[in-house]
Amino acid sequence: MALVDKHPEMVRYISELEWFKFLREQTVALIEIPEMQLQVKTLDSLLSMYGRIIDAVENNKPFLASYYCLAPELYTAMDLPYYMVMQTPFLASSVPYLLKDIDAAEEMGLGNDLCTAIRLSIYYVEANLSPLPTCALNLLYPCDGAPLLHEVIKRNQRWRNIPMFAPDPPYYMDERSLNYFAGELRNMVKFIEKHTHRKLDLDKLKETIECSNQMFRLWDEYNQLRRNVPSPHGWGIGGPQCFSQAWVYQAGTPEGVDWFKKLVEIAELNVKAGVGPVPQEKIRLFWFDLLPFGWVFEFLPWLESEWGAVMVMDMFANFPYTMIDTSSEEKMWLGLAKRNLFDSPMVRQARGVADNFANDIRRIVKDYKIDVVIWPGHMGHKDGSATVGIMRETCRDLNVPFIHLGLDLFDKRYSTPDQIKDKISQFFRAMGLG
Amino acid sequence: MAVFDVYIKKVAEYIEAMQASGRQVRTFDCPSGPERLLNGLPVRVGPGAGSGIVLRGDTFAELGSPEAGSCAFPLWTNNTSLVKDCRITLIGPDILESKGASLPFGQIIMAAGEKLSEKEHSVFDESQYISDQIEGYMVKSTPGRMWTRISNDAAERGFGFEALGKALMAIYKSHAPHVEAMEVVFVTSGKEDVGRLDEIAEQVKKISKDIVRETWLARGYDILECTLGWDCGSCPDKAVCDDIKTVLKVRKKKAVDTETA
Repeated sequence: MALVDKHPEMVRYISELEWFKFLREQTVALIEIPEMQLQVKTLDSLLSMYGRIIDAVENNKPFLASYYCLAPELYTAMDLPYYMVMQTPFLASSVPYLLKDIDAAEEMGLGNDLCTAIRLSIYYVEANLSPLPTCALNLLYPCDGAPLLHEVIKRNQRWRNIPMFAPDPPYYMDERSLNYFAGELRNMVKFIEKHTHRKLDLDKLKETIECSNQMFRLWDEYNQLRRNVPSPHGWGIGGPQCFSQAWVYQAGTPEGVDWFKKLVEIAELNVKAGVGPVPQEKIRLFWFDLLPFGWVFEFLPWLESEWGAVMVMDMFANFPYTMIDTSSEEKMWLGLAKRNLFDSPMVRQARGVADNFANDIRRIVKDYKIDVVIWPGHMGHKDGSATVGIMRETCRDLNVPFIHLGLDLFDKRYSTPDQIKDKISQFFRAMGLG
Repeated sequence: MAVFDVYIKKVAEYIEAMQASGRQVRTFDCPSGPERLLNGLPVRVGPGAGSGIVLRGDTFAELGSPEAGSCAFPLWTNNTSLVKDCRITLIGPDILESKGASLPFGQIIMAAGEKLSEKEHSVFDESQYISDQIEGYMVKSTPGRMWTRISNDAAERGFGFEALGKALMAIYKSHAPHVEAMEVVFVTSGKEDVGRLDEIAEQVKKISKDIVRETWLARGYDILECTLGWDCGSCPDKAVCDDIKTVLKVRKKKAVDTETA
C-alpha cells in the first residue's frame, strides 16, 4: 500500500520532495562550479529532512510540527525530526503549483489581505495537505497572523486531538523577558517529553549547541566576507541557505558544520580572487525581508544582469547572534531563549521594538557598504510597514536611498515582477545608481 | 550635558585600580588635531582606507572574541577638564607583542567639548564601528561586541594600540567637530579586567537608550512602544474601531438568525 493511500495528508509533502529531487538533478548538471557543489549539499540536507519525516510517518515514529524560532537544537538533541507548518512558503515556494494553492486558499474563503504565508499554511492544514505530527509546537509571535493560523489549526477536525503547546513570548528585550522565555522553553521540552516519550539528555543538548555554535560562528565569518567589494556571492547563495541549514535542516549537527566550512572556503577564494556574482558590481543592495521566493527566478537574476545590483545582505542573512554559553544548564536555556526570541530573523524585527529596524539598518549600511535599502513591503508584513517612517528617516540620516515597494513575496500577481522591475529601475535612475 | 561625567570618573578610578593591582599600564600622549594625529601612522586612515575585512589566514591577532571577552562604549561630556586630550592608555599587552593571540578587549572612548549635545550621541556610538576606515584593521559586523582583527600586513608595518588610538581619535574628530578633547583607553590584560567594565557599560547603555529614544520622540516616533496601541482612550481612530465592532455585531447576529431560521 502506497504511503499516500494510508496517509493522504502526505501528498503535498511528497510533491515537494519530488520537486526538490528535480532541482537537485538540475544542480548536479552544474557540479563543476564550487557554489553548485554547495547547493547540492544544501538540497541533500533538505531531502534528508523530508526523508526523516516520511520515515517517521511510515514507521509510526514521533515527529514534530514546529518553527525555526522555537529552538530546533532541542529537537536535534532529542532525535526528533521536525517540519515547519509554514514550510511551503518559507522553504518551498519555488514549487510550480504555488499559485494554484494560493487560489485554492482564496476559494476556501480566506481573505486575500491575509499574509500569503499564513493563508497557504491554513489551506494546507484545512485541505489535509500537512503531515499530522505527534505533537505540535505553535507560534504566538512575531505577528498577529501566527496566532490566527494556530487558532485554525487547533479547531481543525484532524488536528484538534494533536497535543499542542505554544511558548508565550514577552514583549521587551530585557533580562526578565529572557528568564521568562527560557522557562517557556523548559515547559515546552516537558511537553514534548510527555507526548513523544523521548527524554532530553543535557549532555546531548550541550553537544548539539556546541555544534550549532560552530555553525553560527562560521556563518558570522561568512558574513564578514560579504562585506568585501565585490561581494563574493549575490542572492544565489548566502543568507537563505545559511538560515535553512542553521535553523531548519541541520540545526546543531556535524553535517551542518561541514556545510558552513565549505561555504566559508569558497567565499574566501572568491574574495582573494576579487570575484563576485556579476562581472561588475555596481549597486550593493540590502533587501530587508525574506527573498521573493514565489518569483525569485524572474526577478533577482534580472537585478544582477540589468543593473549589476548585488544583494549583499537580507533580513535572513543578517547576523545579530551571540554564541550560546554551554558552561551550565541555566546558561544554555538563557542562550536558547535569547537566540530564538531576540535574534531569530523576522521575529527580531516584527516582535520586538522598532529600534531593531533602525539599528540593523545603521550597522548593515555602514559595514556592508550598502548603496540602497529596499523594504519590499510584503503585504503580510504590516507590522514592519508600520515602521517605514523610522526606516526612511534612518536612511536619510545615513544618506542612503530607501525604497518601499509594496508586493507579495509569494504571489507574483499582487505586484507583477514587471511592475516591480519598472519601479526599481525608475528609482535607480532617479537616484543616479547603476 | 553631565550625564556621563560620573562614568568618566569611574573609568579614571578603574585605571587607577588596575595600576594599583600591578597591571602593566602604558600611556601615550599624542599631538592634537586630526591631521597631526594621522601624521606618521603606519596604515592609511579614512573612508575606504582599507577593504574593511581581514581574512582568517591573514590575521596577526584577534581582539574581543566571545571566548576572550569584550566591552566597548563611548562617553562624552561638556566638561573639558574631565578628559585629557589625546591621551591613549593601554592596560595589558600591545598588539605587536601578541602574534597569533586572541586577546580580551576593552575599548573606552571619551570625548569632551563645550558645544557637544545629544545630537552627536549617535555619531559617538556609531563611530566605534569603523567599517573600512583603518587599513588592515577589521571590526567584525557582530552587534553587541567589539570583536576585531589586525592583519599581518598592518602588524608588520608597526600597527599597535598607539596607532589604533590615534586613528580612532582622528575619525571621531573628523565626524564630530565640536570635540575639543579625546581620550582612549584599551584593556587587554585579562577577561576579568575587561569584565569589570561591564558594570559601567550597562549603565551607559541604559542612558544611551534613553537619549536615542528622546531623539526619536522629538522626530515624532516612539521606537520602544506603540503607545496608541495600548490605550484605546487616547487613540484618534477609536470612532472607526467602534463602528467596525458595531458592524461585526450586526453581521454575527444576522448569521445566527439565518442559521436558526
